[in-house]
Amino acid sequence: MKPNHLLIGALLASASFGPAIAQENKNVTVVLAEETDLVEPCMATRSNIGRVVLQNISETLTELDVRDGGGGIKPRLAESWEQVDDNTWRFHLRRGVTFSDGSSFDAEDVKHSFARAMSDQISCEIARYYSGMDITPAIVDEHTIDFTAEPAQPIMPLLMSLLTIVPSETPVEFTREPIGTGPYTLAEWNPGQNIRLERRDDYWGDTPEVSGATYLFRQDPAVRAAMVETDEADIAPSVSAIEADDPELDHSYPNSETLYLRLDHAMAPLDDRRVRLAINHAIDREAFVGSLLPEGTELATAIVPPTTQGWNAELTPPAYDPEKARALLEEAAAEGVPVDREITLVGRTGNYPNVTEVMETLHFMLSDVGFNVDLQMYEVAEFENLYSKPYPENRNPQLVAAMHDNARGDAVFSMYFKYHSEGRQSGIADARVDELIAQATAATGEERAKLWSELFGYLHDDVVADALLFHMVGFARVNERLDWEPTIATNSQLQLADIAFE
Amino acid sequence: MKRMIGQRAAASFLALLGLVVLVFFLSRLTGDPAALYLPIDASQEMLENFREIHGLNDPLLVQFGNYVTDLLRLDFGESIRKARPAIDVVLEAFVWTLQLALITMALVTVTAVVLGSLAAFRVGGLFDRLTSLISLVGASAPDFWIAIVAIVLFSVQLGWLPTSGTGSVWHWVLPVAVLFVRPFGLILQVVRGSMISALTSAYVKTARAKGVRNRPIIFVHTLRNAMLPVITVIGDQAAAMLNGAVIVETIFGFPGVGKLMIDSILQRDFNVILASIVVTALAIFIMNLLIDMAYAVLDPRIRY
Repeated sequence: MKPNHLLIGALLASASFGPAIAQENKNVTVVLAEETDLVEPCMATRSNIGRVVLQNISETLTELDVRDGGGGIKPRLAESWEQVDDNTWRFHLRRGVTFSDGSSFDAEDVKHSFARAMSDQISCEIARYYSGMDITPAIVDEHTIDFTAEPAQPIMPLLMSLLTIVPSETPVEFTREPIGTGPYTLAEWNPGQNIRLERRDDYWGDTPEVSGATYLFRQDPAVRAAMVETDEADIAPSVSAIEADDPELDHSYPNSETLYLRLDHAMAPLDDRRVRLAINHAIDREAFVGSLLPEGTELATAIVPPTTQGWNAELTPPAYDPEKARALLEEAAAEGVPVDREITLVGRTGNYPNVTEVMETLHFMLSDVGFNVDLQMYEVAEFENLYSKPYPENRNPQLVAAMHDNARGDAVFSMYFKYHSEGRQSGIADARVDELIAQATAATGEERAKLWSELFGYLHDDVVADALLFHMVGFARVNERLDWEPTIATNSQLQLADIAFE
Repeated sequence: MKRMIGQRAAASFLALLGLVVLVFFLSRLTGDPAALYLPIDASQEMLENFREIHGLNDPLLVQFGNYVTDLLRLDFGESIRKARPAIDVVLEAFVWTLQLALITMALVTVTAVVLGSLAAFRVGGLFDRLTSLISLVGASAPDFWIAIVAIVLFSVQLGWLPTSGTGSVWHWVLPVAVLFVRPFGLILQVVRGSMISALTSAYVKTARAKGVRNRPIIFVHTLRNAMLPVITVIGDQAAAMLNGAVIVETIFGFPGVGKLMIDSILQRDFNVILASIVVTALAIFIMNLLIDMAYAVLDPRIRY
């Protein structure tokens, strides 16, 4: 054979791509926007890692139920749990569970997983959910473990939905070969190109329909959307609103992100409630929905989404009323508040689709009622310097446009950071707020919900802490051969066991 | 020749050293990797612990001293983001970029030289005007646009090619084609211009007077003389491609060094930034050296 014939032969032989994955087999291909650069279970609360690892490879003791109305905690590796005393919770572990390396699952593994996640030898992301408290695990017997917390943690079962369980032999360093109890195991990993999971035969639970999954990474949303259209992929969990033009394939879902303007209460004129109220009345929130932001975007009255315990349904977004805003500013000016002082409106480039246009519109709306606003856009690292304490000295008063993600079902993961006077991203210092946060954090059940609800109302109506804007929506494109719908949890995990075929 | 290589190597080493110093300090001035790596609501304790693990608490000069000492042992340090050696991450990506650049530049060079030479032969003719139009469009069309249009046309509408990714020969077609367009337009114009002036020179008239036919005149006599400026442009274009074809890599999900560099800058993954700069700078140095040597081969008047 001549060399050029060889080449043609090679070309033809390699002619199989994409479409061949469909039809008969029960493999799915998921195309993600951001590369999964680690598969470490203790990093699974980061969305690009969680979508591959969480509940597919590594499981947790409990699981937040988002499908049936939301809010409830389901058993996973723990069959049941109870509160022993104020500070201690007891978890009864499932029996007959094995890890993918064949070893059996017991209380020792849970204890080690917690110690490893909290170790100062490695930087595990899930440790952040246990900061500010002292938790001690104690093994009662092979299948029972107690967690004692100081101060008391009424949401201990929820906190356990974040702890990924690894075998007790796992070294305290980032692993590239994660071993878990989940229905799938890591079969192949080509960094930057793809990751492949395969179904286990010896999984303790029901056998999922999906036999294997390949994860691909494409930064461009148009390419991700095109890949589902050409059958090269089955699920693109996030495509932009512009691409999501096919009602047969595209599904919108609340992506658990809330957009808001954090106001700098430490500086005039933002230390004046009338000025903060004027900002709120200056913004025509409705005008963004269906134009710059997709249809389905909801107006926010709290920094957490409506699926959160203690959601306050009585709050209404401030009406767009430029006349009122101007009047409030005049009133404040008359009393000597420096309302014409330059205020910096801070945005983050690439934060969400159309961020520049949204920021420019906000700039226009605020200037229109008489604010002296300067718009500054920063890339993520510089933005972070302005968003987190210590705030820069010699700054102008700032309105920082930020997004916050909390799909965990409880406001505790948001309120301290965003509103407590010691919180790293807090713009306020209010004794009543600090007290309510402390009370709600320590409360359980109805009482807890009531206290969060009260705090949301106090921040929104009394303090006018910030300008809450929108609960954002995302779009997923799903191949027609699948029976699967995205939920508010899709931002942080994608359980292959939830996927069925048409 | 050996002296030239030695001098160039010394000069490049100094330039590289300057670059490493500059990037080392500038990247550390512009943001804290701990704040970027850890979630925005991470506690002060976690931040401190992270900085301690990655040696970011040491004074800057101590960090630099450690870095240079490690570098002398060819240890580029760990990638913060990927928790493995930075040099492994970079070399893996660089192989993709190198293949992409080599294949594209080989195709560009052959087609641009052949078409450019033919266009120069009858200036103002139909073929000349046609190639000029194509090269002008090629040199000015934005590559992100070409890439998306190509995907929509060839993958979504016609279904001939995969949209993106790696895996088979077909996966290379669109990225190479998109990368091809701009340097092709540019080099074709340079070849054409250079050939036009070569074709009017005295030795071509002599050759014609001796009865030499058109094909040997173009491809034997004039091309060699016309190639010097062309090689310079080819070198420029190839260097740009070795730096990474960021847009093409991003759109087609090609795991190359350009995308890696941008991502590591955004994430302040210092060791990966530095390793990718050192690797691409070395590659560009070697390529420039080859180009200088090619001058000497093509033109016997050039001696080092």
